[in-house]
Parts: sequence; C-alpha cells; structure tokens
Amino acid sequence: MLRRARIRRVRGGTIRIDLPDHERELLQRVLPQLRELLTADESDERTRRLFPVAFPDDTEAEGEYQRYMHSELVTSRLSALDAVESTVTAKELTEEQAVAWMQSINSVRLVLGSLLDVSEELELDNLPADHPQIETYALYAYLSMLLGELVDALSR
Amino acid sequence: MEAMPTGEAATLGPGALETATAPTTAPVEVEEPTSDVAVVSQRPWVVLVWNDPINLMSYVTYVLQKVFGYNLAKAESLMWDVHTKGRAVVSSGKREESEIYVFRLHEHGLWATMQLDD
Repeated sequence: MLRRARIRRVRGGTIRIDLPDHERELLQRVLPQLRELLTADESDERTRRLFPVAFPDDTEAEGEYQRYMHSELVTSRLSALDAVESTVTAKELTEEQAVAWMQSINSVRLVLGSLLDVSEELELDNLPADHPQIETYALYAYLSMLLGELVDALSR
Repeated sequence: MEAMPTGEAATLGPGALETATAPTTAPVEVEEPTSDVAVVSQRPWVVLVWNDPINLMSYVTYVLQKVFGYNLAKAESLMWDVHTKGRAVVSSGKREESEIYVFRLHEHGLWATMQLDD
C-alpha cells in the first residue's frame, strides 16, 4: 500500500503537516539555537553560509552589499523563525508559513553542514556509529529529509 | 540560458540592452565626462548560482521557480547546470534588479553572486 506523504498539499493550497510530537519537539529545541546564532553580536564562523559573498571580485561593492543586506538577511531569517515557532504544533500551514519552515530548516542545515564541513561525497550510511559527531550528522540527515518532504509538498 | 552555452546568451544580452538604453541615456551623459562609465553600465549584470554540497537539488529547483518565476523545466535545467558544471547564470539584467535577486537567493540560502557580464 502506498503511504500517504506526511507533508502534503490539501485543498486551497493549505499544507497538511502530519508529524509526531517528538519531531516537533526537536524543532522546538533546535530553532532557538539558530535564533541565538543570528542575534549574536560577534560574527560566527558557523553562520558563514547564511551570509554569502555577493560580489567576489569587487571589495567595495561587497562592503556596500553587506552593509545594507546583512541586517536585512538577519531580519528575514528571524521573521521566518517567528513564523515557524508560532506554528510548530500546527496540523495545517498556509503556503507562506510552509515556506518559512523551509527557509528556517534549510538555515539550520547550512549551519550544521558548515560545522560538519560536508562534501558531495558524504554518505551518512557509512559513518561509524561511534563517530564523535554522529548526533550532529543524524540531525543534519533528519532535517534534510524533512526539508525534502516540504519541498515536495510545495512543488505540487 | 537553460541548456544552451552561457556564452551565447551572454552575447545576446549586451546588444539588446545597448539598443534599448542608448537613445534615452545618451543626451544625459553628454555634459558629463563619464563615457567610460556609460559603456561599462551597458554590459548587463549576471547572477550566478554556485554548486554547494548542502543545498538539496529539489530545493534549488523550487527556489529558482519561486524567485524568478521560471517553469519547472527551466528551473531544473539550471539546477543541473549548477550541479554538473559548478555554476550557472540564472539571470541577466540591470544591477539593481540583480541585487534584489541575489538577496532573495541568499534569503533562501543559495550560494549566489553577481558580476558584470564578460
């Protein structure tokens, strides 16, 4: 029998979210850490991928871009986080809220991916169970799966 | 863009922009010795998306559709270019609009840069 997608589009563009409580609780624990990183005073190497360089060949233009856009990017990410945290127990999301979930989950993945320095060759199945960062890899893998489910639902 | 070599798209871009902007900008530029700048500004800005090991392929496809309004086929073709060639030109146009596109791609966590087309 075909299993129904846990995250799927239902009538009128609404996105149905059938996630067990423990997955929602995991998000509730992880997301505040992203907020903490985003609102930290000092720049942190872990957020490097959240603020990419826009003008790699033009220092002046890059400085200007960062001056104006860095705080805009922080604001945008914080408002996505607000939207996720206020709907983390919801069974149905609007399209906009689902996009906020997608953005926030991917932001966490970008932080974890930088932390783990993941490469295209990463094969999670081949990691030894006693790898010192196995829990971080597990979280990364879980969020990748969840993001994939959200993207599939939103793409329909 | 899409599957055709980016070089071809690049040569079409500047010509089109030149003819479109030359008549309106020329009279304004006459009084100022900024002809070099004027020539430079007629080259379009291109937005590039770079391959990275973190972003999912389905996610990149979705974001390209959402940000640029591309259909699925076009977005997928660009995503495959990014994935297999390391980068792809995803748009070409004025500096201001390119900056907004780059910002929106950054908002979604894509590794996007912009530069004058060469």
